[in-house]
Amino acid sequence: MDINTKKLKKNAFRVTKERGKTAARIRVPGGHIDAKYLIMLQEIAEKYGNGTLHITTRQGFEIPGISMKHIPEVNKALQPVIEGLDINQISPNTGYPAAGTRNVAACIGNNVCPFANYNTTSFAKKIEEVIFPNDYHVKIALTGCPNDCIKSRMHDFGIIGMTKPQYEAYRCIGCQACVDNCKKRATGALSFENYKAVRDHERCIGCGECVGKCPTSAWTRSHEKYYKLVIMGRTGKKNPRIAREFIIWVDEESIIKIIQNTYGYIEEYIDKNASGGKEHIGYIVDRTGFQEYKKWVLKNVKLGAKAVMVENIYW
Amino acid sequence: MENNMYLPFRSKIINIKPHTDIDYTFRMEFTGDVKPGQFFEVSIPKYGEAPISVNEIGTDYVDLTIRKVGKVTDVIHTFYPGQYLFMRGPYGNGFDVNIYKDKELIVAAGGTGLAPVKGIIDYFSNHIDSIKKFSLICGFKSSSDILFKESFKQWNPKIETTVTVDKEEEGYDGNVGLITEYVKKLEIENIREANVIVVGPPIMMKFTVQEFINKGIKEENIWVSYERKMCCGIGKCGHCKINDTYICLEGPVFNYIKAKELLD
Amino acid sequence: MGFSLNLTEFKNIFEELKKEYTVYAPKLFKNKGTYSDTNMVRYDEIHDIEDIEFDQKSHYSPKEVILPITQTLFYFTEDEVIEPKFNDKKILIFLRSCDIHAVKRLDEIYLKNGGEDYYYRRLREKVKFVLMQCEKSFENCFCVSMNTNETKDYSLFIKRKGDILFIEVKEEEFLSYLHNGKSEEVSPSFIEKNEVTANVPKDLDISIFKSPIWEEYASRCIACGRCNTVCGTCGCFTMQDIFYKDNVNTGERRRVWASCQVDGFTTMAGGHEFRKDKGDRMRFKVMHKIYDFNKRFGYHMCVGCGRCDDACPEYISFSNCVNKLNKVVKGEI
Repeated sequence: MDINTKKLKKNAFRVTKERGKTAARIRVPGGHIDAKYLIMLQEIAEKYGNGTLHITTRQGFEIPGISMKHIPEVNKALQPVIEGLDINQISPNTGYPAAGTRNVAACIGNNVCPFANYNTTSFAKKIEEVIFPNDYHVKIALTGCPNDCIKSRMHDFGIIGMTKPQYEAYRCIGCQACVDNCKKRATGALSFENYKAVRDHERCIGCGECVGKCPTSAWTRSHEKYYKLVIMGRTGKKNPRIAREFIIWVDEESIIKIIQNTYGYIEEYIDKNASGGKEHIGYIVDRTGFQEYKKWVLKNVKLGAKAVMVENIYW
Repeated sequence: MENNMYLPFRSKIINIKPHTDIDYTFRMEFTGDVKPGQFFEVSIPKYGEAPISVNEIGTDYVDLTIRKVGKVTDVIHTFYPGQYLFMRGPYGNGFDVNIYKDKELIVAAGGTGLAPVKGIIDYFSNHIDSIKKFSLICGFKSSSDILFKESFKQWNPKIETTVTVDKEEEGYDGNVGLITEYVKKLEIENIREANVIVVGPPIMMKFTVQEFINKGIKEENIWVSYERKMCCGIGKCGHCKINDTYICLEGPVFNYIKAKELLD
Repeated sequence: MGFSLNLTEFKNIFEELKKEYTVYAPKLFKNKGTYSDTNMVRYDEIHDIEDIEFDQKSHYSPKEVILPITQTLFYFTEDEVIEPKFNDKKILIFLRSCDIHAVKRLDEIYLKNGGEDYYYRRLREKVKFVLMQCEKSFENCFCVSMNTNETKDYSLFIKRKGDILFIEVKEEEFLSYLHNGKSEEVSPSFIEKNEVTANVPKDLDISIFKSPIWEEYASRCIACGRCNTVCGTCGCFTMQDIFYKDNVNTGERRRVWASCQVDGFTTMAGGHEFRKDKGDRMRFKVMHKIYDFNKRFGYHMCVGCGRCDDACPEYISFSNCVNKLNKVVKGEI
């Protein structure tokens, strides 16, 4: 059997323990999928694989036990799924054009969760749209609120939903549900003065818990959606660490631009001798220093008036 | 500003008489109809209002005994004679002295509960001939909590008075024990006719009333005064409502037949 | 008398009405719901007929128009109390039958119980009702059970069908606004049946206090007070005195909505609280709505708008509680 494993991997298949057998990897940007596609995946698993399906940590699926010679058929069978999930493809019926940049993962977000501050899936899809296909190793995760259920702080880019709660003092009946709750579940940014809530803006993390607790809608979410962008978290054998805050109260457009710019930076600074031509973005930033990274990624980024960017990051 | 019941009037503090560290009686300028057991909403602008019952009524004054227990009363206690407080009222029904005339009357008061009934005691101590017999039992936490010490001296010869404190104390040789124990010992001449007024903290009222019932006092001859959170005093704010009864309107003084149905 | 008008014609009339009246109606507040990307419908001043939300039940009742959430009673200076300025422009409120009935309950407390409330009366006497048609019974509504599905107490009736508005004028002064309208027979059709029924027990008395049915609410209720704030008939308030930070010698006394479910409602100075248990608070509220208000005033307080059920984050249903009480009274549970 003559197989170009480099091409196989780039096509989102895996070299497995069992000789001649591969596994097909299906990315699901934003982690939300129409149930009808599961039937197609089931058919592929039963026809070409060993009848099982693995749910990956990055919210994709992996169909193991596929004979490598069936890759073209599997790619054809995957075509409606790829199209249905709006994946950027180079040519139809050839499967996924890249696998380096990983599936953009997201918590369930405001489609379902009462705590979420935005639609994580649709933002994830917007990011997928501009960064895929790409061979560089970048991991992105989106989470609806600072609870960070997706563990976005373990990723190169963690996008945490924020809102700027709007307070209409006239509607406040002084029940202090927001004040108590902020103390217990958030950061204690609220206090009670003259029978109304007073916010310490420095402490407010924009989680929106106060909005959820208010019985009169004195607290409501801002029309604008904000995010906390945390960067360069990672797992791995070498020096794992959690992502640190880069910009808070940042807007969606700026985040997309920063992620896009990151690819140019990787292009420039990646270790050309890295094994397999693959170097994780976090290690590149370690090498060039944060300031150089920052200079590159902020090109043409116009941060909003509320955005707060850190000067330096000490991971 | 026509008929705005929320607007308070200014009233001058004539004098202040401390009873304990936290209980002072404020004599306030007031002319108008008022009955013992009624209450005023007393306020200091910017701090708030507190419902305070009337304990003595003169031709141009009312006495309000105010315990220092919260935001408003803490500030009131820093005031001096000649300064002004704001008041609205009087509110509530108060005690009707005519009910008790020519019969035997027993008043059982716990702690500050003595304040709202003090007017009744004063009245009958001054009109002792209009009542058959008058007994007073007052309970306080300790001897330093005893209120109206001077009044007791005036009442004592005319009214059969028992003062008790909750626990034994060094250097105190008066009665010790809960009010209920003294109710048990009390000699009542005509159980079927005697009227009883019980005022005090909720738990004290509950047990004291029960003790009187055990002794054979008729429920319709028992009177109580209720204390509740009140913001308006005029049947709007809803805080004092129990069932279909507004304590501020129909109370705070209730016959026990009614009171026993008032379950919070 | 009835008229039909198209939207453009009505816009002109609306402009005329606005000269005489401040108009309040349910309005859709986009993305202002409790959860992200959800909407809110509540009362607000309306400047354009298109701003009126005809199709949804408002999350909050119209009571906030005549009983503001926060209302300044007067201002203090060093030794004076000064009433706030009062806007004497008349008020039109667009509302549904149940809400008109709810205002009657507020009137009972604020105008009759223990005398007239000055601040309420001033606002209330400026108000005229515009009845809105309920095309269908909304979720959780049980107005038919509470006899609030129909009303005659309105000055105007309006229903909207696409771009055509049908108007019934019951009060003569409004006829002058409608001289251009096409005459037509218009009258409201009222809801005759709700999906939800609340069987208010007739033989209820306070012996039900001892029933174990209240116990579950002690653990289910979180004492947030939403059932009270959305209710059209809850009118309790708390007095608040404040002083201004930049001049502590001046301040104001105001009243603010209160909730009998929230901690502190019965707490006296010194800390004694009469209803600590949330089951007791639920009992207090339910009995007020379907027992003791009736005992005092001769009709039930609850109007069956179902907003408390719509709003409860713990899915406690008021109507279901009433039905359970009915079963207890009948000896079925």
